[in-house]
Amino acid sequence: MPSSTLHKVRFAGMASCVPRQIVSNLTDCRPQIRGERERLVRNIGIEQRRLCPEWQCFSDLAFAAAETLLEKLAWRREEVDALVVVTQSPDYLIPATAIILQDRLGLSQATAAFDVNLGCSGYPFGINLLGSMIAAGGVKKGLLLVGDRCASYNDPIFSDAGTATALEFDPAAPPIHCDLNSDGSGYKAICLPIGGHREPFGLQHMIPRRENENDHWHWPGELRLDGLTVLSFSTQRVPPAIKRLLEYAETAKEDVDYYVFHQANHMINETIRKKLGLPAEKVPSTLRDFGNTSSASLPLTMTARIRAELEQGKKRLLLSGFGVGLSWGSCLLEIEGALFPDLIES
Amino acid sequence: MNSIDKFIADFLAACDFTDPMEVDADTELKNLPQWDSLAMLGVIVMFDTEYGKSIAGMQLNSAATVGDLFRLLDD
Repeated sequence: MPSSTLHKVRFAGMASCVPRQIVSNLTDCRPQIRGERERLVRNIGIEQRRLCPEWQCFSDLAFAAAETLLEKLAWRREEVDALVVVTQSPDYLIPATAIILQDRLGLSQATAAFDVNLGCSGYPFGINLLGSMIAAGGVKKGLLLVGDRCASYNDPIFSDAGTATALEFDPAAPPIHCDLNSDGSGYKAICLPIGGHREPFGLQHMIPRRENENDHWHWPGELRLDGLTVLSFSTQRVPPAIKRLLEYAETAKEDVDYYVFHQANHMINETIRKKLGLPAEKVPSTLRDFGNTSSASLPLTMTARIRAELEQGKKRLLLSGFGVGLSWGSCLLEIEGALFPDLIES
Repeated sequence: MNSIDKFIADFLAACDFTDPMEVDADTELKNLPQWDSLAMLGVIVMFDTEYGKSIAGMQLNSAATVGDLFRLLDD
């Protein structure tokens, strides 16, 4: 869709939650591949990740974040008119996780609750969606819960997190500018091919394979990721989209206080930063300590790296997510007086 | 004009091979033990950031030697 602007939508606060368990990419692996892991970590920039225990779902992390945020904002539960959950790790395939969380959070039955199936690009889409509901006038206060349970012990990229963002109607709020894009021709680049209706899960998917004795076992039902395609997509599509949004919003790139990018990997993120000519101090990163947390990476990075700065005076941020779909979106917004609780571990 | 010597130095930095490698334009990529997906990612980034040239994974896969990669700069 063309770049667009939301009016009268205020960013009221945000909370982020990660599981307590830390997995090290350097030491929690077979000793035989330690050298290879050191090379990998040098290049992708991910040293540690957070991993849910077997019983913990994404919704548990999002619930903890939402509870903390509601308390901090002193919002009454019946005031929340909409609950939008952006995740690709629902509790069940049916029903939507948002509806379960409506009850668990004690929200009113008049709450509009539904899920959105997006990954790394999901946060700007969620801001635009919930913001549009508020701008349209029907919703006064809304919660956006974003994140995934996507980590595994052996995969060195992904990490678990759940986040909550509060938006509310405010006639005096500064505009939020958005730019959202999709390219389904690249859907195979990041794909979980088994378990849907195209290829239902069956006994034939119960046989793992590995390249050699130092490799870990790979299951047919695991996420498939074409790293070369994802890197080319990210570094070629994201910079022009950000320039387009800045131009649309008539904002000089120097007038943005922070550029928060989806935390894909160090190679992708540094390439995007350099192509945009941005100083490193304006581009916070959580890759080293939290890895790639899918759609949670934007709010998690805001909470973990710049929450104190965001609570002091007005800040202008450009947020950009990109990945599975293929899908990429950005939003440019001003934050002032919003509340950012400390990072939660659950 | 880009020099092959600079290109090879950039190539080695981008691949970040664990063990030192002797590489020239005729070196076959398949004979480099760590010419893997990580090295390929590094080379795509190198083309983009050092030479302002966007290349796709398919182009990398079609290159047999380091010299073939160098010639991608002129495509």
